Amino acid sequence: MIGLQDYMLVSALLFCIGLFIVVSKKNAIQVLIGIELMLNAAILNLVAFSRYDSFKNAGQMFALFAIVLAAATTAVALAIILNVYRRYKTINPDEVNQLKD
Amino acid sequence: MNPANLNTDAQTVTFAIMAAVLPFAAFAVNFLVFTKSKVAGWASTLAILGSSVLAATVFARVWNTHTIHVQTVWFTIGATKVYAGILLNNLSVLLLGLVSVVALPVHVYGTTYMKDDENFSLYFRYLSFFCFSMLALVIVDSLVLFYAFWELVGFSSYLLIGFWYHRDKAVAANKKAFIMNRIGDIGLLSAIIILFVQFGTFDIDALFRSDGLVASSVLANGEWTSTINHLPAMWHYIAFAGIFLAVAAKSSQFPLHTWLPDAMEGPTSVSALIHAATMVASGVFLLGRVYPLFNAGELTFLAIIGCFTAFMAATIALTQNDLKRILAYSTVSQLGYMVMAMGVGAYSSSLFHLATHAFFKCLLFLVAGVIIHEVKHISDENNLDIDPQNILHMGGLRKRLPVTFWVAIVGAVALIGLPLTSGYLSKDGILIQAFNWSDGKSGIFKLVPAIATFTSWLTAFYVARLIVKVFFGEFRLLQMKPNISVHISDGGWGYKAPLILLALCCLFPLFSINPFSYEQAWPFTGLMQANAPAVEGAYHLVVPVLVNVVSLLVMYGAYRLYSGRSTWAFPQNNLLFRISCNEWYIDRFYNRVIVKYVVALSTAAFWFDRKVVDGFIHLLEKTGQLVAKAAAWTDKYIIDGTLWLLAQIVQAIGNFTRRFQGGKIQYYLYSMLLAVIVFFVFKLIWT
Repeated sequence: MIGLQDYMLVSALLFCIGLFIVVSKKNAIQVLIGIELMLNAAILNLVAFSRYDSFKNAGQMFALFAIVLAAATTAVALAIILNVYRRYKTINPDEVNQLKD
Repeated sequence: MNPANLNTDAQTVTFAIMAAVLPFAAFAVNFLVFTKSKVAGWASTLAILGSSVLAATVFARVWNTHTIHVQTVWFTIGATKVYAGILLNNLSVLLLGLVSVVALPVHVYGTTYMKDDENFSLYFRYLSFFCFSMLALVIVDSLVLFYAFWELVGFSSYLLIGFWYHRDKAVAANKKAFIMNRIGDIGLLSAIIILFVQFGTFDIDALFRSDGLVASSVLANGEWTSTINHLPAMWHYIAFAGIFLAVAAKSSQFPLHTWLPDAMEGPTSVSALIHAATMVASGVFLLGRVYPLFNAGELTFLAIIGCFTAFMAATIALTQNDLKRILAYSTVSQLGYMVMAMGVGAYSSSLFHLATHAFFKCLLFLVAGVIIHEVKHISDENNLDIDPQNILHMGGLRKRLPVTFWVAIVGAVALIGLPLTSGYLSKDGILIQAFNWSDGKSGIFKLVPAIATFTSWLTAFYVARLIVKVFFGEFRLLQMKPNISVHISDGGWGYKAPLILLALCCLFPLFSINPFSYEQAWPFTGLMQANAPAVEGAYHLVVPVLVNVVSLLVMYGAYRLYSGRSTWAFPQNNLLFRISCNEWYIDRFYNRVIVKYVVALSTAAFWFDRKVVDGFIHLLEKTGQLVAKAAAWTDKYIIDGTLWLLAQIVQAIGNFTRRFQGGKIQYYLYSMLLAVIVFFVFKLIWT
């Protein structure tokens, strides 16, 4: 029987994979994918927890909101990435090192 | 005393000082200007000529008139004032004149004798310095100054004896002379200090005039009492011993006489000066200055030592073959006479003999210089390898060197002391007074005049031997090598004039009108001590006749023996001959008994210094180095290391934290993540 604990493990696994991708990849798109993974881990948690609130289904509602927000933020992020590329001629986040000052 | 007289006295003092300073001026000029020039000789000669004139003026003004003594405060120690000044009495003006007058012909002679020497100017520098020291020595009034010039005389004679410094023998001789004289100097210094402790002054006049401090001090009951102090009598004897050492060293008395014969390594004209009125005379002069100090026992000691020295030196002179060595031993012998005369109370005769001896010994040395120069000339001309001073090579020179021959005869006769010469006057004075002195004493004291008389016959013998070997018979060098060429002569006036002048000074008229009575000689009467015993008795007639008749016989014997008219010869191998020929084995004795151990001690001291003292220092040095090295290591590795480590840590932290502000997105993410994790970890711990 698959319980809440298993969902949370998978979620944690996803979050860690996403986090790893975010800090290690040399490509902004991949970083974006990492971020999506972490977001999905959070959504998975929301969906898993919603089982204990079957009356209002608040968790599932939050998950839907999150999916929509994720789509929106991804669009914004892609726009930023395009702008970054236009300015730096690269989307390697290591080389985009002018965020200081 | 009226003011005019005072003015004259001040002038006289100035003259005396100038007489002493002129040679020093010559020394300075030669040192600074004529360093390579032949003019140096004439500068020195002119200076000594000036000194002679001034000294003669001083002499004429002071002799038998009055004593001039001026002094000024030299320095003050506490409440004690030490004076320096000039003391001109009969004794000092006689010596002042004598030194400059004898030095003058030596200078003239030296300009010719040394003309080929490469260090011509140096020679006259030394000579002038020597004359300055000696002239100043005789006129100063303070024992401290006296000591200073005494040292300078010793030092300048050291320079002169070692003048030919490239010869090992000359260097050894001047070292020997210097060391022997140091022994005497220690004695003199001790005596001066004791006298100062006892009397509180260095003033020679205050100490030693006839009513001076020394004369009024009393030596009785084991106490030596003066007006200001009293010391155990022992100190009186120590002071005497010190003075005796000084006299023995300078005036070459037994047992410190051995430097003088060796000192013949200097140029012959130097020997002439040192032997005549200067260096060796200063010892007798010192005796004359401090004469009132001695008591009867000490005078007897002087008499015995002087008599022994005279006898010993005369016996050595009998067998020597080196021309200058014979004369040197003759000087030792004559100085023995003078010291003996001091001892027997013949004060004025002693100094009279000093004056007459100065002239004839100087003359004989200059004669020796001419002979050596000519023989050397022969040997150089013919490439012979001979010792030009060895009298065995000579002979028959009277025909070739007539002037030298005649002046040598005059000098020799004066040295032997035959009538009509100055030597007769002074020497017979000493002998007669020695006989008088021994009267009324126990028999053993008769030995002193007896030995002195015997010594005068020995003198006659060795002088006759010298003259005959050099001037009579045939020229032995020519006999040995018949084909050598012999071109020799008396030399120019640079040689002849000094010789003739000195020869004239060896005759009686310079000193006395009556050639047979020393009591009428002016140096004798002028130097007479007030309390000297009256001279009388039969000795007046007996002694001169006995001495001179036997001397004449001895001289005739020597003439027969050495001119080849007798087939009889002395055995050359018996004990007495060997003792005489080896100079009584005294040098050998010193080498065995003293020198060897001193050298051993010095070597040991040197070893101690090298190994122990230096070793200890080295050890200290090594320890210091070690400590320093350890300190350096600690400094480098511990202290610097700590700082270095701190710097590294700080740098690492810096490097580490710098990354969080690197401007890269992902590092910002890292930091954020880290902060969140840390926050939650702490939260977990504390809840």
